Amino acid sequence: MFAALRVSGLVVCALMVALSSSGCRTKPKPPTNVPVSKSDESIKPITLTGDDGSVPMVGERTADGIRVTDVVFESVMFEFDSFKLRPSELAKIEKVADYLRKNTAVHLVTEGHCDERGNNEYNMALGEHRAQAVRAHLVGLGIDAARVQTRSFGEEKPVDPGHTEAAWQKNRRCEFALFR
Amino acid sequence: MINTRTHAGRLFVFVVFALASAMSAPAADIQIVKSGSERTGIDVSAFVPGSTADGRLFLKTMEEDLENSGWFTITNGAAISAGGRWSLDGPKAECTVRHQATGQSYLSRAFLSRGTDVRRTAHEAADAIVQAVLKVPGIASTRIALIGRVEGRKNLYVCDADGRNLVRITDQNAPCLSPNWSPDARKLVYTSMHNGYPDVYLIDLGSYRRDVISRFPGLNSGAAIAQDGRRVALTLSKDGNPDIYVIHWPDGRLTRVTNTPRAVEASPAWSPDGSQLVFVSDRGDKPNLYIASADGGDARQITFQGSENVAPDWGADGRIVFSSRLGGRYRLCIYDAAKGVIESLPDDGANYEDPSWAPDRRHIVATRSVAFRSQVWILDSMGGPPRRLTLPAGDWYSPAWSPR
Repeated sequence: MFAALRVSGLVVCALMVALSSSGCRTKPKPPTNVPVSKSDESIKPITLTGDDGSVPMVGERTADGIRVTDVVFESVMFEFDSFKLRPSELAKIEKVADYLRKNTAVHLVTEGHCDERGNNEYNMALGEHRAQAVRAHLVGLGIDAARVQTRSFGEEKPVDPGHTEAAWQKNRRCEFALFR
Repeated sequence: MINTRTHAGRLFVFVVFALASAMSAPAADIQIVKSGSERTGIDVSAFVPGSTADGRLFLKTMEEDLENSGWFTITNGAAISAGGRWSLDGPKAECTVRHQATGQSYLSRAFLSRGTDVRRTAHEAADAIVQAVLKVPGIASTRIALIGRVEGRKNLYVCDADGRNLVRITDQNAPCLSPNWSPDARKLVYTSMHNGYPDVYLIDLGSYRRDVISRFPGLNSGAAIAQDGRRVALTLSKDGNPDIYVIHWPDGRLTRVTNTPRAVEASPAWSPDGSQLVFVSDRGDKPNLYIASADGGDARQITFQGSENVAPDWGADGRIVFSSRLGGRYRLCIYDAAKGVIESLPDDGANYEDPSWAPDRRHIVATRSVAFRSQVWILDSMGGPPRRLTLPAGDWYSPAWSPR
């Protein structure tokens, strides 16, 4: 019963993202006011601050703490010059949300990266928007916004230093850095 | 459509780019400057450098500076003559500049070296000659801030306008980018990740004291100081996505200039009067330039060409230089609001990015990259030859020309 509800919540999220992807390039719309199962004990609607879909940062920047290294999550990948969350990437974010629900002492930083093409300064902002899109989705899945910070590396930290389409594709990503 | 004509001694080729997009706003004409401007001859053969190395270095540096100004060419027998001598009493350079035929005196002045290096004294003399004869500011005494990646480490550097006197300002092993000058040319703002997150710092080039001026949660980057020295425009993401803000000094009050939850804003640059900002936004899908009041409010799109328009710098004469992706390459373009035209600098097959105006309102420093290797070049908006800054081996980025 609860599992079914959780799946339906996911489907709603996926549908919203899929719907928002019509047209040549649309911005990610985090699920606003979508009932999502936060834990097996309770189901309540998540109200995001503001009606524009953006999730403001909470309080001061917190120290990273000790890096969690016993679990590694797959990076969320992006299209060129886009911060849209593709439906194929949503399951990766859901896995992180599951982990965070079970490990309440863990907080994380979503780290946005770009490929080397394009202006450095613009890429800093684009990488940040990728990190923010993933953060907003986590919050939509019921994760406390105060547990998620963002960090953009722009084009400064490629995983593949090559100058090929294959390398660029690998570099357009959002990584999950977990701390406790 | 290509239409060629000669106008005021300069050849322009007008190319109207067909817009691939269905943008309804009118596209500005693109003008390509094809030829260099006229130069004034100046004869320096009457200057007596004396027998010292310093005297010879002074004369050689002053000659280079006069050529680099774009306004002069060293020519024996030219109508304008620079005389005088290098004097060991000081030491100093005594300079006179006059018109050979009419005897009109433009300049008669001593430039004391005051214990500073000879090159700096020559820069001062060259700038004084440019100002005295042509009534325009020179650039020889100005400096350029830039980011260098040397042996894999990115750091902030400053050099003279001729590329010499390179000083590394930071010593870190973390990404840094986007330096910009304070109006008095004594301080730099830049973005650094040496504390783990992109934060904005202010460095005093006299004391090398470094203060963090913006470290909100999320992104802090792309800072530009207004001409009044009391406001800093930058990109912050603390409210949920990257938008343009202004920090007011000294109280730290914030003004939010843009509020676009579904778009990225970056790279603000101040208008000369400090009332407006030009910045990059992808609110219309592709990155384009927009202008808004520094107090916020509606933004007006000013670029519609190519696939990207980024990295604007608003010059003292009101012209905005930026990098435009046209035909698969980043080209430098100049938006002249008064004339309603966009002029593009010549295409040589390379990518040009991150342009910054010199205080002479004529030259532009920018990165020129070929095969993903990036160097810094000085370009002449009046069509003179481009000049590469000679810097140590490495990649060089984000040059910013000092205001004076």
